[in-house]
This record gives sequence, structure tokens and C-alpha cells, in this order.
Amino acid sequence: MKQTVAIALVAIAALAIPAVTQDGYIIQLLNIAILNAIVVLGLNFATGWTGQINFGQAAFYGLGAYATAIATKSGLPWIVTPVLSVAIVLAASLTLGLPTLRLRTYYLAMTTIGFGEIVRLIIVHWEPVTGGTSGLRAIPGISVFGVGPQGQIQHYYLLVVILALATLVAARIRRSALGRAMIATKDSEIAAEQSGVDTTRTKLLAFMIGAVYAGLAGCLYASSIRFVSPDSFSGVQAVLLMTMLIVGGMGSIAGSIVGALTLTILPEVLRFLGQWYLVLYGLGVIVVIVLLPGGLASMIAAFPLRRAGAP
Amino acid sequence: MTDQSIVTVRGVTRRFGGLVALDGIDLDVPRGIVQAIIGPNGSGKTTLLNALSGASHADSGSIRVDGEEIFRLKPHRIARLGLARTFQNIRIFGNLTVLENVKVASACNVRTSLFNVVASNARQKLTEADIEQRARHALELVGLAGRAGDLSMQLPYAQQRLLEIARALASDPKVMLLDEPAAGMNTTESMTLLVTIARLKAGGITILLVEHNVRLVMGISDRVAVLDFGRKIAEGTPAEVQRDAGVIEAYLGRRHRHA
Amino acid sequence: MGQLVVNGLALGSIYALVALGLLLIFNTVQIVNFAQGQLLMLGAFIGISGAVTHELPIGLAWALTIVAMAFVGIVFMLLVYFPLRGRPPFLVILTTIAMGIVLENLALIIWGPLPVSLPSPVHGAPLRFAGVVISMHQLVIFCTLAVILVLQFLLLTKTRFGILMQATAQDLHTARLVGIPINRTIAVAFALGAVLSGIAGLLVAPIFLAEPTMGGSLGLKGFVVSVIGGFGNLPGAVIGGMFLGLIETFGARYISSDFRDAYAFIVMIGFLTAWPRGLFGEKTSEKV
Repeated sequence: MKQTVAIALVAIAALAIPAVTQDGYIIQLLNIAILNAIVVLGLNFATGWTGQINFGQAAFYGLGAYATAIATKSGLPWIVTPVLSVAIVLAASLTLGLPTLRLRTYYLAMTTIGFGEIVRLIIVHWEPVTGGTSGLRAIPGISVFGVGPQGQIQHYYLLVVILALATLVAARIRRSALGRAMIATKDSEIAAEQSGVDTTRTKLLAFMIGAVYAGLAGCLYASSIRFVSPDSFSGVQAVLLMTMLIVGGMGSIAGSIVGALTLTILPEVLRFLGQWYLVLYGLGVIVVIVLLPGGLASMIAAFPLRRAGAP
Repeated sequence: MTDQSIVTVRGVTRRFGGLVALDGIDLDVPRGIVQAIIGPNGSGKTTLLNALSGASHADSGSIRVDGEEIFRLKPHRIARLGLARTFQNIRIFGNLTVLENVKVASACNVRTSLFNVVASNARQKLTEADIEQRARHALELVGLAGRAGDLSMQLPYAQQRLLEIARALASDPKVMLLDEPAAGMNTTESMTLLVTIARLKAGGITILLVEHNVRLVMGISDRVAVLDFGRKIAEGTPAEVQRDAGVIEAYLGRRHRHA
Repeated sequence: MGQLVVNGLALGSIYALVALGLLLIFNTVQIVNFAQGQLLMLGAFIGISGAVTHELPIGLAWALTIVAMAFVGIVFMLLVYFPLRGRPPFLVILTTIAMGIVLENLALIIWGPLPVSLPSPVHGAPLRFAGVVISMHQLVIFCTLAVILVLQFLLLTKTRFGILMQATAQDLHTARLVGIPINRTIAVAFALGAVLSGIAGLLVAPIFLAEPTMGGSLGLKGFVVSVIGGFGNLPGAVIGGMFLGLIETFGARYISSDFRDAYAFIVMIGFLTAWPRGLFGEKTSEKV
């Protein structure tokens, strides 16, 4: 009951925002924040629940975005792009995941960072196709049978709905045997195996589902922000995504969203700090890790979304 | 012989570098009994258990459960074939509730698709109901039904041990391996454990028990096998083993050497 | 072709130095420092501050950098190691990465984003023989690596301190119980680790220009070397470094120089897949 009330309040607040401000800049910022939230929700599967460190999430995000940008700019109908993005990230995550998911934490971190770097290098150097460091502009927008959202505010409503769906799916996975298997794998891989869980398959699934979230978010990013560049999907971004998860609360659905929203909006609010922002950010992350390992979600103890569906 | 034995171990050997942890172990475990495996520290008990459950494979030999060869299979395959285990150092899933812990195991042989999960359709609800029902049943059997909704890491030690047993039970096993289940328990708790093991046996499950607590072993076991330095040095009923000179030597001799 | 070998080995020596710094810290506290590259960057810039901005003699600039880096190492330890003792590797990785971000952006604030050059400590005509040219600076690199290897070896095996370090690495708890001054030992490890990377920075800056964002890729290459050679393995770090330097140089020449950074990662992923034990025998997958 408490959960339903909380969700209703959040929904009302979210829908009311465009009534409060029509500033295109703010709405676009919110749109990016919502997209990041979807990506971090995806990251939560592999990292928050299954305990697999993953610095490749930004690369999946970028693959989806660039695939969509390139496809629509070369004339393909928009409706193809979500399918295309998903296909590409599934292939990439499977290729990366199969040999690496059995590696220990440090090595997994390195290989996922390496993967992210390789993707970035391809994007930066394959200039004729990807536009290199300048990126791609004037990307066609969402268009299904000629109809699509116009202007930032319509995109906002669409993205809110999609985030809601992404959250719903994540909650359903959490309540299912797969979700339990993921957390069991992280808590004790041996005991999970002994209880019948195929931990290798579980890790791979978590990784791939997370990649799909990022890929779809990338597709939407390209189609709503209409501009992509390698900087948005770089190694630094991968770290920022991870910090959003940690600050928000690893393993928590609500935490993933809160962390992403907060840490996307914060740098804009603190823009006056200039370069100092990142210095303070880094220090702040360390403070959070040391003092508040459960992230913001652990402070908001009233939010039962973390154990959605637990009896 | 194999008709009556639910677990058949032949020539299982395991080396760690130069150390021979298991040296050609043979064991036949009849159906439906409580089989104890005892021995001084370092005799290879846990190594044998690990080989049986797939946690740490033996180098050579054969292990059959109910006729099926499980040697070197991955642990989750062995679990699905009907062999469950508890751990010497408690390994519960701390971030899951008590009920969820058990559900992980009761979902052992349930096949479900991601589509059903995402769609949350009738089929998924049925699957989950089935998993839940069997999980609750296991909790009732060990007496933890009242704590189903609690976060498992908050359980007191002895109840965490019972949770492990409930979890192992929930996968509907033919054989249960209990690795020092009484470790750290006081007398009352050990008594509860004895009762629980008896209930499991009454339910038709064969129990393999590795335990240091000799009184517990003698009280509940039908057969005892004694290991020393990776070899089986004695086997029989508890009474027979207690009188066996080699066994006494293995335990007493150790004590004298260390004195 | 021979020239490529020389260049590759020189580059590899620098990578080996980064790996040696990682090795020192890892060997003592079992932490992989994901900010090692940023420490290299700091070393380069402190050296530049001394030699270029303040026009100090290069030898003095080197000495000051080494001292400064030792301090940086200790500060690093205070901010990262002690608060996170006992935490899972996952969080340690994130913390060291966060420190890397802090250092990189501090550098951007202090020195700006533009690339700067640092002169080599030795000037002179390059050596020529057998058709290859070895520049003075490359000679400096080789010599520095050799000297450091000898020193590190002596430190770890001959001095009391080195033995303490190995003891601390093997069993921290027991070491403390036995009365080994582990905090001092750990402090030395971090200080030396930072110094090694700082020296690597002083050696890199004359070849490739120094800029605050250079830490990321160099640090990662240090990891790759450690993966190839095995974490914590001294000869492995050197051989691995040389191997990587050669691969990168040849790859840049014969395949594509745009992707020179990618070769390191491809090599690493290949190694981790094919040789889960590393070349020198360390397990890289989950222990069941």
C-alpha cells in the first residue's frame, strides 16, 4: 500500500513538471537524466544484483545511439532502429560476456574498460561513418507511420512512460527466479550453484539484459537529443554511470533511478564550479563509498521498492 | 549392489600439489539411511563432500547418484540431479529474505522463460506459486516458517544453519550432504538439529553427514565411514566403528602426537 | 625493422615501470590501483613545473619530482587505503578510479589542458649501430629501468624493509600480530609505487607530450602488462612491458596507428581468455 502511494506521488510529480517549467534547456536536461536512469537501471542487473563490475555500459549506450543515428541518417525508417540497436548490443554483450564473466573482479573491470575503449576508438576513427570526434548532427527523430513526438516536452512524456515500463520490467525480473538467482550469485556463487543455479548463464543474462537497456536508451537518445558524439559514451561516462548506481544505491531499483537523475542534474546545477566540479565529484564519490555504502536508497528506508515483491 | 546404493563412490582421488587429500575412496551408501563420514582434521572429509557436490572436482574416480554418473559435472547439474548440500561455513544469501533463499533452490528444476517473467502472465504466476509453495513447505519442516519474510542475514546463527537445511531440502533432493551442521550449536540447538535430520530421513531422503560431534553422529547415524589421511580406514555401524582399533588409533594417536 | 624493435623496447620499458609501481602496491596490500596512470601524469607535470616553468636544472627537477611523488603516494594511501580496508575489491576499484578523476581534474585546473613538453635529462648525439638509431633519451629509459629493477630486487630481498613488505603481503593479520610495523611498510609501498610512476612520467613526457588526460590510457597499459606478466611478478612486469611495447609499435606501423591504444586491450582480452593463469601462473578466474 505504501509502495503504491509512493509510486502514485512520483508519477504525479513527474507528469506535473512540464506544467511548472517550459524551459527547453531544463526539459532536455531532464530527458537526458531519464535516459541515463534507464541505462543505470540496466547496469543494476549485472552490477547491483549479480555483483559483476561492468565499465562497458557506456559503450552499449553508445552502440545503440550510433547505430540508430547512422541507420536513420542513411534513410532507414525509424521503426527499425530499436530492433537494430538491440541486435547489436546483444551480439556485443554476448561476445564480451562469454569469455570474461568468469574473471575475477579486477580483471573483469579491466576487460570491460578495455571494451569501452575499443568501441570509443572505433567511433572516433571511423570518421566517414561516425563523424569522428565531431559526432553526428541532425539525426531524424522518432517516427512511426509518420507520427512522432515534436519538441522536448512531448519527448519528455514519452521518456517518462518508457522509464516506467523499464522499471516495471526490472521489478518483475527481481520478483522472479531469475532475479533471485542473480542476487544469490552475488551473495554466494558456490551456494547458488549448489542450489541449482547456473551461475554462468545467470551472469551472462544479467549482463545482456543490462546491455539491452543501454542499447534501447541509446536508440532513444539519438532520436530525441538528435546529436551524438563520442564524449557522451566515453570511459569517463562509464565511470559516471557506475557512480550513479553506487550513490543511488547498488541493488536498488529506486536507487538506480534516483542516482541517475541526481547525478545528471547536479553538474548542471553546479556548473559555476567549472573544472572543480569533477574534483569535488571524485572526492564526493569516495566519501559516499566510505560512509554510505548503501547509497541514497539506504537513507530512504521507507522505499520498499528495493525488495519489491518480497513477502 | 548398485540397486540398493543411492550413492556409489569408486576410486575417488584428489591431489593438491604434492598432498594426497583423497586416496582412492570407495563408498556405497544404501538408500534412505543416514551415513556419517568422520575422521580427524585433514582426513579429507570436506574434500570428499566437495567432490560429491561438484564444488571442487576430484582428479579421478567415479561417483554415481541413483545410477547416474556425476563425476566432474558442474554443481548446478548435480543439484538438479538430486544432490543437495549445506556448507561448513554458512553460505546463505544474505541480501535475500528467508523465503527467497529457499525459493532459489525450489526453483531448481523449474524452467521458465524471460518472456513469461517480463509479461508477468498467468503462466509466470503459476510457476511462482509452485515455487513458493514448495519453499514454504521446506521452511515448515525445519521450523522457520514464522521468519519467512525476514532478511536472512539478520537471522541468528543457529537459525541460519536451519535455513541452509531448508534451502537444501527445497530442491527436492534424493541425497543431502550435511557439512558439519552442528558446528557452533549448543545442546538444545543440536537436539533440534537431530529431530530435523530424523524428519528428513523419514521423508525418504538419504543423508550424508560430515560431523565432528561424535555423540551426534553416533546418535543419528545408521552407518559410519571413517577417513584418515584421505583413506577409508573403517566402515560399519556406529557401534562397530567405535570399537575399531584403527579408528581409535587414528583419533588417539593424533592426540598423542600433538601432546 | 630493427628500429621498430628499439622503439618498441623503449616504450615497453616505460610500460614496465608503470607495472612495477602497480606491482609494489599490489604485492603489499592486494590492491590494484586504477589511478596509477594519473600518478604518472602528476610526475610528468611536477617535473615540467620544475624544469620548464621554474627553469630548474633537469636533475634537480627530477629529484624534486621524486620527493613530491613520495608525498603524493602517502596522501593517496591516507585517502584510499585506510578508509577502505576490508572492503570488497569492487569498491576499492571505484575509489581509486575516483582518485584518478580528482587528480586529473586538479591537473587540468593547475596546468590547463594544453600538451606540454619536458626536456630529457641527458642530451647528446644518438648512438648508431647495426642500422638502428638509439636516441640518448631511449638510452636513459633503458638505464633507468635497469637501475630500478636492481634496486627493487635488492629492496625486496636483501633489505629488512623488503622482507617486511613481503611478510605484510603474505598475511597482513599475522604480520600485525607479530609486531611488524605494517602501517609504515604500507606507506613505503605507496610512496615507492607513486615514485615509480612519477619517474615513468618524467620519461614519457619528452617522447609524447604531457597533458592532464594522458593518465587513463597509460594506466590501463600498466594493467595489461600486469595481466600478461602476472600480477605481482617482477620479471613478468618487465617481459610483459617489452612485449606490449613491441606489439604496439609494430601494430602502429603495420596495421594502423589510429588504433595503437586498442592493441593493448585486444592483447589483454586475448591473454585473459587463452591463458587464465597469466604467463607466470596466477589464477584469474573465480575460485570455486
